[in-house]
Amino acid sequence: MFKKTPAERLLLHFANLMVIVFILLPVAAVFIGAIQSEKTLQADTRRLLPLEVTFDNFAVILSRGEQKGRIFEQVTYLPDNIKSFYTALANSTIVAVSVTFLTLLFGSLSAYTIARQRYRWTLFLLQANIVARFVPVIVLMIPLYVVMRAMGQLNSLTGVIIAETGFLLPYAILILAPYFDTIPTDLEEAARIDGCTRLGAFVKIVLPLATPALAACGVIMFIVSWHELLIPLILNARPAFMTLPVVIASLVGDVHVFFNLMMAICLLALAPTVILVALLQKYIVEGLAAGAVKG
Amino acid sequence: MTRSRARRGPWFRREMSAGRFALAMNLPTLVFLGLVLAYPVAYAAYLSVHRVGLAQLRRGEFPFTGWENYGRVLEDPLFWVATKKTLIFTFITVGSEVVLAIAIALLINQAGIWTSRITRVLILLPYAIPPICNGLIWAFLYSFQFGFLNRILFSLGLIDNPVNWAGNPDTALYAVTVPYIWRTLPFAIILVHAALQGIPRELYEQAAIDGANAWHRFRRITWPMLQQIIAVILILRTAFAFAVFEEILAITQGGPGDATWVAAWYSYKITFSPPNNFGMGSASAFILTLMVAAIALVYLRFVYRRVTL
Repeated sequence: MFKKTPAERLLLHFANLMVIVFILLPVAAVFIGAIQSEKTLQADTRRLLPLEVTFDNFAVILSRGEQKGRIFEQVTYLPDNIKSFYTALANSTIVAVSVTFLTLLFGSLSAYTIARQRYRWTLFLLQANIVARFVPVIVLMIPLYVVMRAMGQLNSLTGVIIAETGFLLPYAILILAPYFDTIPTDLEEAARIDGCTRLGAFVKIVLPLATPALAACGVIMFIVSWHELLIPLILNARPAFMTLPVVIASLVGDVHVFFNLMMAICLLALAPTVILVALLQKYIVEGLAAGAVKG
Repeated sequence: MTRSRARRGPWFRREMSAGRFALAMNLPTLVFLGLVLAYPVAYAAYLSVHRVGLAQLRRGEFPFTGWENYGRVLEDPLFWVATKKTLIFTFITVGSEVVLAIAIALLINQAGIWTSRITRVLILLPYAIPPICNGLIWAFLYSFQFGFLNRILFSLGLIDNPVNWAGNPDTALYAVTVPYIWRTLPFAIILVHAALQGIPRELYEQAAIDGANAWHRFRRITWPMLQQIIAVILILRTAFAFAVFEEILAITQGGPGDATWVAAWYSYKITFSPPNNFGMGSASAFILTLMVAAIALVYLRFVYRRVTL
C-alpha cells in the first residue's frame, strides 16, 4: 500500500531479525544443552557451540536411568524422578486428554445456553465465568489441598482432573460462547419445527457447525492442562502420580542439578505442545482472541 | 396444547421448557464451578480466619482466630517485600509487553517484507513451551558457570568476566521478567494483530492522500483503534503477572535473599514449607485474590461490557 524506501526495508528486516533471534534463543539453548555432557559444559565455559554431540541424556531418561551411556557411567547419583519419565508422560496424557474432553463437553453445553437463552442468571453466569478466569491458582491450592485431602483424592489422577476441569471451564466457556453467538438460529428453529428436541437441535445442528470453535478451544485446553504445574504439584506427591511438569520441577531443588539432563527432559516435555501449536496455529490464534474479547 | 404435547412419550423424548433446558445444560458447569472455584475460595476465606497448621489438619479442628492471620501477614516485613517485588515485576512485564506487542504486531503486519512472514510463523512458539520448562531453559541461559547467555556475550566480546544474571540481588528481579515476557508475549501480539486486521484500509489510504506520514497515521488511526484491545491486554496481563510462579520456582526460588520473593511464592512457601501455616498462607493468598478481583471487576465493568452477548 505504501512504498517503502530501501532504508526502511532494511530497518524492518533488522527488526524482524531481532525478534526472531529473541524467540529462538531459548530454543537454541535447550537443543544445545540437551546434546552435551556436563563435563563438556564445564570444560570450556566460553565456547558457543559444543564440540560433542551425544544422545546419552535422552538415553538415560528413556531407559528409566538404566542405560547410563558414556556421560553418566561414573555418575553415582541420578535423580530418582527421571526414572518415572514414562509414568509421568502417561499421567500427563491422561490428565490433558480428560480435561480437554470434559471442558469441551461441559463448556459447550454452558456456552450454548449462555449465547442462546438470555435470562438474568445466564448473564450472571457469564460474568461469574469472566471473574473466575482471574482467580489465581495459588489461592485455590490451599483449600483444594485440604478439600482433596478430606475426600481422599490426594495422590490420584482423578483429583487433578477434577481440579483442572473446574479451573479451566470458565476459560472454555469464554472461548466458545462468542462463537455460538455467531451461528444463525434459523437452522435450529427449522429443526425444532420438524420435531427435534432442544438437545437434539444442539447436538445434531449446532455442534457440527461449531467444529472450528471446538477445535480452537480443545487445543488451548490441552496445552494449558499439559503445562499446568501447581495443581498436580500440590495434590500429588508420589512419583506414580506425577505429571511431566511436576517431575521437571522436582529436578530444580535436587541435590545435584544436571542442566544437560534437564534440557533433555524439557525438550521431550515441550515437543507435544510445540507440534500441536505448529499444526493448529490458526485455531489457537482464533481461540485466544475469542477468549479475551468477543471478536 | 403445549402441555399435552410435552407429556406424550417416554421422559427422555419429552420436551423441556426453555428455562429448565438451560438449567439442565448448565448443571455440570455449576457443579464444577461450585466444587473447584466457589467452595475453595470461600473455604480459603474460612481458613484465613482460623489457626490451621499440620497439627490442626491431623486433628481436624481449626480454632477460630479472627483477624490474627491477616494481622501476622500484614506485620510480616517479607510480605511487604513480596508486594513490592510483585508490583515491580508486574509493572515491568506488562509495560514491556504492551510496547513490544504493538511494535511486533505492526512488524508482522508489513506487506512485502519477507522476514515478517518468518516472524509471523514463529510468533506462537513461546506459547507452546510449558512454563516450568521455560523457567529451566532460562536458568540454563543465565547460569553463572556455563550459561549460554554469557557464552554469547563472550563471543561478541561484550563482557570479559561471566555475569551472574539471576544470582545477583541487583539484577535477579529483572532477569526473571525476561522469560516471563518471552512466554506471555504471543498472547498480547495475537490480540493486537487481530485488532489491526479490523482497521479499514480506506482510513490509511485516505490519510495518505491527505499527506499524513507514517507517524501521523499511527497516532491518528492505529492508536485510537487499538486502545480497546490494549485495555484488555493491560488488565489480563496484570492479573496474571500478579500471580507469577513457575519462572520464579525454576530460576531463582525467590532468591538470592528475597530479591525475587513475589506474592505467589510467599503464599506457597508459607503454606507448603515447614511450619506449614495454612491459615496464614490462605490469608496472604486471599489478599492477592482481592487485588486480582479488583482488576477483574474493572475488566468486567469497563472492558468486557461492550460484548453484546
